[in-house]
Amino acid sequence: MFKKAKDNVEYLISLFLSIFAALLIGALIMLLNGQNPIVGYKALVLGAFGSKYKIATTFAKTVPLILTGLATAISFMSGIFNIGGEGQLYLGAFAAAYIGFTFTNLPVFIAIILAIIASALIGGLYAYFPAVLRVKYEIDEVITTIMLNSVAILFTNYLVNYPFQAAQGKMGGTDMIAEAFKFPKLVKLSKLNTSIFYTAIIAIIIYYLIKKTPFGYNFRIVGENGVFAKYAGINTKRYMILAMVISGALCGIAGAFEVYGVHYRFLQNISKGYAFDGMLVALIVKNNPVGIILMSIFFAMLKTGSNSMEVATGIPSELILVIQSIIILFIAGENGFKKLFKEYRLKRGKLVK
Amino acid sequence: MSERIIELKNVSKQFPSVLANDNISLHINKGEIYAIVGENGAGKSTLMKTMYGLHEPTSGEVYIKGEKIKSFSPSNSIKRGIGMVHQHFMLVPSFTIAENIVLGSEPRSKRIFSDKKKAVDIVKSLSRTYGLEVDPNAKIQDVSVGIQQRVEILKTLYKGADILILDEPTAVLTPQETEELFKVIKRLVNELDKTVIIITHKLNEVLTISDRVAVMRQGKLVDVVNTREVNEKILAELMVGREVLLEDIDKPEIKGEEVVRVKDLVVKDNRGFDALKGVSFHINKGEILGVAGIEGNGQSELTEALAGMRKIEVGHVFIKGIDATGFNPKKIRELGVAHIPEDRLVTGLSKVSSITDNILMGSQFKEEFCKNKLHLKRDKIRDYAKKLIKKFDVRTPSEDVKVGSLSGGNMQKVVIAREFSFNTEILLISQPTRGVDIGAIEFIHDQIIKKRNEGCAILLISAELDEIFRLSDRIITLYEGKVTGEFKNGEITKNEIGYYMTGNRKEQV
Repeated sequence: MFKKAKDNVEYLISLFLSIFAALLIGALIMLLNGQNPIVGYKALVLGAFGSKYKIATTFAKTVPLILTGLATAISFMSGIFNIGGEGQLYLGAFAAAYIGFTFTNLPVFIAIILAIIASALIGGLYAYFPAVLRVKYEIDEVITTIMLNSVAILFTNYLVNYPFQAAQGKMGGTDMIAEAFKFPKLVKLSKLNTSIFYTAIIAIIIYYLIKKTPFGYNFRIVGENGVFAKYAGINTKRYMILAMVISGALCGIAGAFEVYGVHYRFLQNISKGYAFDGMLVALIVKNNPVGIILMSIFFAMLKTGSNSMEVATGIPSELILVIQSIIILFIAGENGFKKLFKEYRLKRGKLVK
Repeated sequence: MSERIIELKNVSKQFPSVLANDNISLHINKGEIYAIVGENGAGKSTLMKTMYGLHEPTSGEVYIKGEKIKSFSPSNSIKRGIGMVHQHFMLVPSFTIAENIVLGSEPRSKRIFSDKKKAVDIVKSLSRTYGLEVDPNAKIQDVSVGIQQRVEILKTLYKGADILILDEPTAVLTPQETEELFKVIKRLVNELDKTVIIITHKLNEVLTISDRVAVMRQGKLVDVVNTREVNEKILAELMVGREVLLEDIDKPEIKGEEVVRVKDLVVKDNRGFDALKGVSFHINKGEILGVAGIEGNGQSELTEALAGMRKIEVGHVFIKGIDATGFNPKKIRELGVAHIPEDRLVTGLSKVSSITDNILMGSQFKEEFCKNKLHLKRDKIRDYAKKLIKKFDVRTPSEDVKVGSLSGGNMQKVVIAREFSFNTEILLISQPTRGVDIGAIEFIHDQIIKKRNEGCAILLISAELDEIFRLSDRIITLYEGKVTGEFKNGEITKNEIGYYMTGNRKEQV
């Protein structure tokens, strides 16, 4: 027990050290710019949590981060790398919007279920092909999925500008979905809507799948040592494809939620790189589902707060990107921290033999 | 004879988590054959690397030919006349023997061009002087392992070594090649005044070749003894620190029906060449069939094919009368086959997972550990892991420890614990004790025999002839993908079997 606990504690310490160091460097940059970092960070935190509206905005931002983060986790832990979340999100969003503005007479409940299923299907299908190419022909899925992002984004751009152009002249967007299908807002004027509950349910399911079921165990072993998994009788190819499809489906659903909860239509730039942010989140917390939720909140805080910070203090919101990158950089150096720990313990004479 | 050619004074080497050498003082005399023995992880290699200058000791002093070493580097050591033959040869396969020997300090013509003819002459004269016959123009890839080792030795002699360090020199040799090597070593020492340090874990060889033996255990020098005054049993006890009983094995005769039949098996290796060229044999219930052979003669491909991990091109495998040709690993396992793979880290374990998760593999959908094939019963799994850890004597502080942090022997015990606990009738066992210390070897052998006595049909592949002879009921020899001989254990000596392992038939014995 203690060994595992020790590993986790060490990881948490290095994570917090990384975040702290990143914030410190951010503060240094503010100082160099002649601004007071205490004022800046205060504005950041207040901007993210200072009022009911602000808290709602922050939490609204966690929805796509959590979904794409979980999507990344399940594929990366299985040893197959879905970098195509952005494309899957666009296609999923479009499919959901299509159902929303085409079948406007359907009962609300059925329409929403249908939209979610359609987005998951199309997202999953779009991930299925690169997965099969990888498993059957060893074509690198990192490259194919990255390229398929562009295909999906440009294809949906075409769709919204030509065949599905909005009736009322708005460029780069489809028609609105039926009024009744829109997810209700939880806080007035904010973007926080009921999709956060659906997201919570999905997160619980994925957590259960990864942590408690033999399937999750198999995903993990396939990712850790595929030869071992194969030797023990696991159909590694099937698991890798399945992981990729689940990952794509989650990204597709993230797209559907953006349509039904935030924009009420498909827009040609509906995602601002959510899937890539989700990937960062998952990487930082090493695919841990609970960690993904917490880190998503932290990232959402940085995003929401940085705008208020810019308005209040004039510190450019891009600084937050610097902080994010530095955290990643430090986490990548986690082994360095581990070595430090080891040497420290060595010095203290706690490591015998 | 009493000149101290190498002397270590209170040498310690601390690695981040291990004290590999703990205050070691010893001396090696000029003109002696000095053996260093110890279990894996006892610190032999570290000590040897310190002598060769590959790393600097944390504390202590090293003297070579009476001179204190200040800067540790292999090139300095070579200048001082130390040569080392690594366990894994450092040769260029596509170069000729002569080119390999002079590599790095080639004779020049007109100061620029390397002079191949002169290199050949040099190698010929070296060969004559030291009695190490080689063909200078043969390419490394075309000569046997034994010759390659000669080339390595010649290489060090060419660089002017008068102290030779040999790291596990006999690990890859047949008994005949080992005998040849020992003759060479004796000649180098007795007639040419060289000093040889030999690192090994084969005690019988230590007794034949060395003058003195240093025994290491857990980083400490336990004792230095005169070889004449000890026997194998005493050395083993010094190494392990307790009594070792590698002698008595109880193998009651079991008359069982045939369980496995392999017919005309043809299997390709990773490069697409035929690794097995029509191999046939059978295994009965309660029988251990040993496969003797030098590594790389199709053994790996044979186990992989039987385990369903490698495609069978031609031929058939029958398990319990069922044609299992082309079955995947899952189907093979469902027939009651368990498998100890030759490389536990690549195939047999996930080293970043806990011991528990490694033991769970293969049982994760069993009702005992998984409710409705959906919910893992973590408590039950933990208890099971604890039980196996105890039963198979895995030395670990906890079942949550990552397998990668265990020693080789304990990792192997985890694999064996898992595979031997399935309800098996057939066991494929490959290199069960590779990199495992003597204490664990004893235990693993006992477990294998226990399985045999319970009626398992066992295929045992091992590069250690001693192991094959100790455990097997029947032995087949594999050479270049073909079965070259089949014997009842006891019908043939180790020496005789060596000829079959190199493809030479009985007439040459």
